[in-house]
This record gives sequence, structure tokens and C-alpha cells, in this order.
Amino acid sequence: MILAITLSELSRVLVLGVINGAIYSLIAIGLVLVYKASGVFNFAQGEFGTIAIYGSYIAITSFNLPYGIALIIGLLAALGMGLLTERLVIRPLFDAPRVTLLVATAGVALLAIGVEFWRTANEPLKFFSSIVNSPSSLDRVSPFGVAVSDQRLITLGVLVVAAVLLFLFFRSPLGLAVLAASQEPVASELVGVSVRRISTITWGLAALLGGAAGLLYAGGSQFSPGLITAAVLIPGFTAAIVGGITSLPGAAAGGILVGVLQALGSLSTFDSIKGASFVSVFVVLLAVLLIRPQGLFAGRS
Amino acid sequence: MSAPEPMPTEPTTLLQTHNVNIRFGGVQALRDVNIQINEWEIVGIIGPNGAGKTTLFNCITGFYAPTSGRVRYRGEDVTDLPVHKRTNLGMGRTFQNVGLVKSSTAGENLKTAQHLEVDYDPLAGIFGSPRTFDVEQHTTDRARAILDLMGLAHLEDTRVQGLPYGVLKRLELAAVLATDPDILLLDEPGSGMGPEEAEELGDLLLKLREEFELTIVMIDHHVPLVTRISDYMYCLNFGEVLTEGLPDDVRRHPEVVRAYLGDDPDEVQ
Amino acid sequence: MAIDDQDLAAATVGASPGAPTAAGWIARAGVMALIGWTVLCYPTNVLSPFTVGGVEANAASEAVIFAVIGLSLNVLIGYVGTISLGHQAFVGIGAFTSAYVVTEMGQEFFIAALVAALVGAAQAALLGAVSLRVTGLYFGLITLSYGIMTQESIFQIESLTGGTAGQPAPRPLGFESDFRYYYLCLIVLALVVFLDWRLIASKGGRALLALRENPRVAATWGINVKAYTVLGFAVSGLFAGLGGALLAHRDTNVVANPFGLNLALVFILMTVIGGLRNRAGVVVGAAFFALLRNGELLEILHVDNLFASDPINLTAEVLPLVLGPIMLLLTITLFPGGFGQLTSTLGRWLRGGSFKFVKADKEVQITDVRA
Repeated sequence: MILAITLSELSRVLVLGVINGAIYSLIAIGLVLVYKASGVFNFAQGEFGTIAIYGSYIAITSFNLPYGIALIIGLLAALGMGLLTERLVIRPLFDAPRVTLLVATAGVALLAIGVEFWRTANEPLKFFSSIVNSPSSLDRVSPFGVAVSDQRLITLGVLVVAAVLLFLFFRSPLGLAVLAASQEPVASELVGVSVRRISTITWGLAALLGGAAGLLYAGGSQFSPGLITAAVLIPGFTAAIVGGITSLPGAAAGGILVGVLQALGSLSTFDSIKGASFVSVFVVLLAVLLIRPQGLFAGRS
Repeated sequence: MSAPEPMPTEPTTLLQTHNVNIRFGGVQALRDVNIQINEWEIVGIIGPNGAGKTTLFNCITGFYAPTSGRVRYRGEDVTDLPVHKRTNLGMGRTFQNVGLVKSSTAGENLKTAQHLEVDYDPLAGIFGSPRTFDVEQHTTDRARAILDLMGLAHLEDTRVQGLPYGVLKRLELAAVLATDPDILLLDEPGSGMGPEEAEELGDLLLKLREEFELTIVMIDHHVPLVTRISDYMYCLNFGEVLTEGLPDDVRRHPEVVRAYLGDDPDEVQ
Repeated sequence: MAIDDQDLAAATVGASPGAPTAAGWIARAGVMALIGWTVLCYPTNVLSPFTVGGVEANAASEAVIFAVIGLSLNVLIGYVGTISLGHQAFVGIGAFTSAYVVTEMGQEFFIAALVAALVGAAQAALLGAVSLRVTGLYFGLITLSYGIMTQESIFQIESLTGGTAGQPAPRPLGFESDFRYYYLCLIVLALVVFLDWRLIASKGGRALLALRENPRVAATWGINVKAYTVLGFAVSGLFAGLGGALLAHRDTNVVANPFGLNLALVFILMTVIGGLRNRAGVVVGAAFFALLRNGELLEILHVDNLFASDPINLTAEVLPLVLGPIMLLLTITLFPGGFGQLTSTLGRWLRGGSFKFVKADKEVQITDVRA
């Protein structure tokens, strides 16, 4: 059966998997950041992305702003949502059981989706243009003979840039403070680190990452309410867990891994299994949680 | 100073640990601990914080598995038995920070604790077979009776959370009694008590031993309390049995004094 | 003639302070009658002294079915203390099973519903076994993934689920009309309420509540925590399976489409807003949400046009999507007892107590006892 897969199909799947994986990585990094800061799985992480898309879209269509400005507006929309969530939902529930917080973030996600439906009642499906409009025949890069559009290249580029920036950030005094606060909140307060401020910064960062992921994912395709939550959040969660829920580099690597595994599910050998790509992600999640819950890449939990 | 009543029969060994060792990571929490509890005795376990007393209890009751060594109850090796099965055999246990279901009422706690006594299949309970109503009434009555015994009958319908600490400890004791134990393992029952309360607690434990034919093992820091009511004592330190013997001998033992106070034997009350 | 204290005492002995007067009891009886009429007569326009316009019986059935599902999820979240973000799969499996048993195996509805309940219990028990190894938030993720995977994979298997056309699920004999089907749903709800009541009043439910808050103490009291956890899941699955069967035959056709993440979140919403561990609250909360979602509630209150017009532009389909999460967040942050606080208040009054707002119990921190 394996022989029936042509090399070209395999390479197409792999390349696609890596690129999708890059988006999952961005979401996963946001999830890990929030988990480290607030101890909760942020269900609203996907909606940071969808809100960014809607924000940009409205900027382009209703206000006729140039694409670049619109992207920034989208990111700002996501940022606003993240900060509001942190202030109105997360902070009051600081001492609540973690499951309650989880449900609360789910509520935030649902509210965002509801608002998205509200504002688009007539026409749920919209089209979001890509950063660079290049027909696929004009590929600059073709790894293994697989055409990769500019949009996808840029996605990978953003991930790399984000990874580098985060790496530098966590070496900076502010970044170190964030890490310290996530591990030892009381001690950090005592040495003058404001846990409140750290919480705000972390959620802001996570929202920006989510927003970026959304904008990159939707570029050049249709979008509808709740898009990023439906399509990206679960692989993102799986990636974060595979990487070890407290490991940022793990989340990045986990994203790529999940992307590839999910793409493998779409190979023609698995055509007979309905929804194989969903099954593969579920199996990976289950396997990691049952066998090695601390994740594949985590050093210490 | 009330000496324990002489027991009518030959003492039989109820609980034993054989060379129990527990290692957590790099720390040897218990080292070759051998203790023996005879039926109807009150045995006191003392020792400074971190000596391994609670770890020993966890081992005996099944929350920890020893790295090596065995635990025997009535001659039977129970080392691999899960916690709830040991309760079935007659082990009852209290916790340092009170072990109760705080979101339920006192009465419900007492009914829950009678789990093993409630004589029907859980499925029968769900489907409401007529017999379950009768058994439930009996369970409620018994819960009330035990609450009454401990002077807590008025709290039957009161939610546990928020009750004063002393009341919680008595309630926890009531719940353990509801499990119909043969042996009570009490982890610091006297914590937070002043000398008068500790005295009352001692009397209560003696009374309970008689009325319910119990064996009692207690960890506590109130050395006078423990000395007064115990038939036998162990002192642990650094995971080992430092010394054991009759209460007066143990409390005067220089090593014990040093372990607690690092000081003059005459300083000990 | 001076009235001395003894006479006074004798005169007041019959009427203890705080007990309702005769007028109070009449008022209570009136309210109970009103509630009874609303549930039993209003949706089907039976015994109505006047036609009130009537709720569409099918919409009312959905409210009752959601109540069953809410009770199912309440067992999982409120009693066992875990989370299920894939509960729509429990319900969907029940729905498809019932439809299959009737259509493909030619059995009666009541057999089919029973099978659906048992299948629901079994798949839930499997998940329960997984929960023994994987806890807390991680388990939540597994249920989330399970729910979506079930919809995308298992519900797409044509031989079991009839593909895109769906699986037909005809109404049982004697209950074909919407009105009669509504009463059938009420009967099932009554059954589920009974089972839930007996669960909590028996050793099984007490074991669950104990192991939810304090598994170590539960074990110390002789409770087999693992076994009872799985039992809790099974009961939840049983109720969900029944709910799914009712849903299938209400729509007379089951398709995979509705059983997605959105539905899972609606279920969570309505159960949490209903008030955990509060049976009446959950029922009311679920019914409220069902009626909000299918637009009936707004119609009854005659405010549907109010929200739909400019500049608000909140149509009936979208309003629950916005209102629901807001209510959820308010419940979590400000009113933890949810609808349950209202039903408890009313319930206490109806039983002869005073009409004082029942404050929500402060949530107990779930910690293991430090052994």
C-alpha cells in the first residue's frame, strides 16, 4: 500500500504539512505563554485570529485602507480582545478552579463568534486576500517539485521571525520577568515584578500571535465566523501538549510535527478512512497524553 | 494519669510493618521501619517535623507503595492492596488537614463514609429499588447516631465548609467511626488544640477505644497527650525508628529529647 | 381582663413564626398550578381556557430534550467533576444508534432508545477509563478532540449513518404527532429526573460527590474511586443516549452536521448557566437556551422584532450566540449558582419557606488532601 504513494504526493503532503504546521506553531506558542502566565488553557486563542481577520477585512472593505495598514488594524483588534479578556475575565477569576477558567475562556471564544455572526448575518462567507497575489504558476520556490505560493512562504517567514523575536524577548529583562512570574508569582512580587503587568503583557503577546496566525491562515481564502477556532485551535493545542505545555521551543516544534502528521492523514492510502486527518490528530493527542504527558520535548515539567 | 485498662485476652498483632523503605527521588523518606501494633492498644508515634510519620501512615494505608518491605494486617500481606480495600479490612484514617467533603453537609459526609456498610448495589440505588429506600433510612439513622455521639447532631444539615477547625476535626473523627474501623490511624488529631482540649481529646480516645473496641495509632506533637494515653510509643527521626517502648521511657530517652529540643533532658515537661 | 403570658403563648402555639398564612398557601398553590399548566398544557394548547398562540410543540420538545442533555452533562461536570467539551458526540451517538436500530434493524422505538442509552453509556465509560489516566484540563482537550473527530469520522461512515442524506428515524407508533411526542419527551425527562434524584440520594451519587472534591478521602472511606468515576461517566452517557434518541425521532432524520463543536459549547453553556448540581436549575437553564436558540422564547415574549430591527440588527438566530456567552461569563464571575439560585429560591418558597434569595454556595477549592 505504501508503495502506491508517489514521491510527489508524499512531498506535496509534507510541504503542506510543514506550512500548516507553522500556523499551528504560532497558536501553540500563544497557548503556552498563557498557560505559563495564568495556568489555563486559553480557549479563546483561536478567536484572536478570527477577530484579526474580521478587523482587517472591515478596514479594507469599509474604510478602504491599504492592505498593510489593515493588517496592523487586524492585529490591534486581536490585541484589544486579548487585553479585555485578561482584564474582565481572567483577573477576577484568579483564584477560581482551572476548569472554571477554561469554561470562561470558552465563553469568550463563543462571544467573539457570536459577535462575528452578528456583524455578518447577511453574508457569512467572505474572502480575505493574501499578502501577495501571485498565481501559483509563478513560484519562486519549489521544494521537491512542490509549488509553494508566496503567501505560504511568508507564513513560514513570519514563524521564523516570531521565533527569533521571542527568543530575544525571553532573554531581555522583561521577558525574564515574565518567565519568573509564571514559575514563582509570589517571589516575583516580592522582588518588585508586578504579576498583574506580566499577566497583561503575556495575554497581549498571545493575542498578537493568535492574530498573526489568523491573518496568515486566511490569506487567499474564504473565512467565516469561528474559522480559526474550528480549523486551527485543536491542532494548536495538540502541538502545545506534544511540545510540553510549558516549553516554547517545544510548542514551535510540536506545531510542525502536528502539521506533518495531520497532512499524512490526507494521503490517498487513507482515503477509505473518513476524516483521517482529524483521526490522526486525535490519535497523536491521546498517545502523547497517555504515554508521555509531559510532552516530547519538555526538559522538566 | 489513667492507666489503660488491662485487656482481657492475649495481645494479638493487628498491624505490622516489616523493614519498610521508601525512597522519593534522592531522599530516603523511610528506612527499615519496623513497627508492631497489637489489638486494642493505643500506640503513639512522635518525632520532629519531616521525620516521616505521615509518610509511614501513607504507606500503611496504601497511598504510597514502599520501595521495599511489607505491611501486614491481621497476618495478611496488604502491601499491594489499594486504599479502599484496606478500609474494607478495617483501617480508618484521618488527615493532617482535615479530610472531609466540604461542599456537603455533615450528615451527608457521615452517610458517604458509611459507603462500605450501605448494603446495596450502586445500580440498584440509581434505579431506586424499594429496598434501597429502607437501607438509606437506616444509613441516615446511623449517621445521626454517630453525630449525636460526638455532640454534632445539630450540624446534620449544615454545610461543612466554614465550620470552625475544632468542629471539623471532631466531624472527621465521626466520619472515620462511621466506616466501622478496627484500627484508627490518626494524623495529628490534637493539632491546633490547647492543653485543655488536648486533655478532652485524650479522654475521648480512651472512651472510644473501649466503646468501639478500637486499636488506635496516633501521630501527634502533644507529647504529654500521647504519653498519657499510649500503651506503647515510637519515636521517628529522619525516616528511622529512633526508639520505641513504654511511654515514660521513650519520652525521657535522651535521643528523643535531643531530636525535639536539641537540649537538656530536664527541659522536657 | 388581663391577658397573661401563658394565654399569649397558648394562642400562638398553633401558628409558629415564619410559617405561611392561608393566603400564602393559596398563592403557592396558584404558582404551582401555573407552572404545571405551562409545562403540561401550554405547548400543546391542551386544556387552555384560551388559545395563547401556543408554542410550537416541536420547539417545546427540543427544550425538554435539552433538559435531559443538561442533566447528563451535569452528572459529568457537577458530580464527577470533570469536563466534557465533546458532549455532542455522546448525544449524536445516541441519535444515530436509535435511528439505526429502528430503520436498519426494524425494532420498536423503545428498544431503540434503550439500545441508544446503553451504547451511550458504553462509549462514555470508555472515555471515563481514559480520564483515569489523563486528568483535568488535558482530559478536557481529549474530549474536545473526541467530539470533533466523532463528527468528522464516525458520523461520516455511510453504512452506519446514512451519509449526507442522513438516517431516517420515524416517530414511534402512537406518538407521531408533535403534541404526543412532546408528552413522550416529558415522560423521558421525568424518568431521567427520577434516576438523577435516586443517584444523588444513594451511595453512588455520594461517592461521586466525594471523589470529585477529595479523592483521597473518598478512598479512605472505602470508595473505589476509579470504578465510581467510570460509573459516573456511564450514567452521563446513559442520559445523553436517551436525549439523542429523542432528538433523532423528533427530527425524524439524523444528520451529522449539527453535532459539532458549537453544539458542545451550547451544552456547556446551558449546564453551567443552569447551575451545577442543581437539578431544577439545569432543567430551566437548558430549556431557556433551547427556546432562545430556536427563537421561540423571543416570540413568546414578543421581543423578537425589537432586537432584529436597526440599529441593533440582532436576528433570532444570532441573539443566543451573543447573549449566551455573556450570560455564561456573568454566571461564572458574578452568579455562580446560575439559574439554580432562582429555582432554589422559588422552590424554598413553594415548600413554605420565606421568599429570600438563595445565595450561591461558595465554591470549595478542589484539592487533594495533603496526606
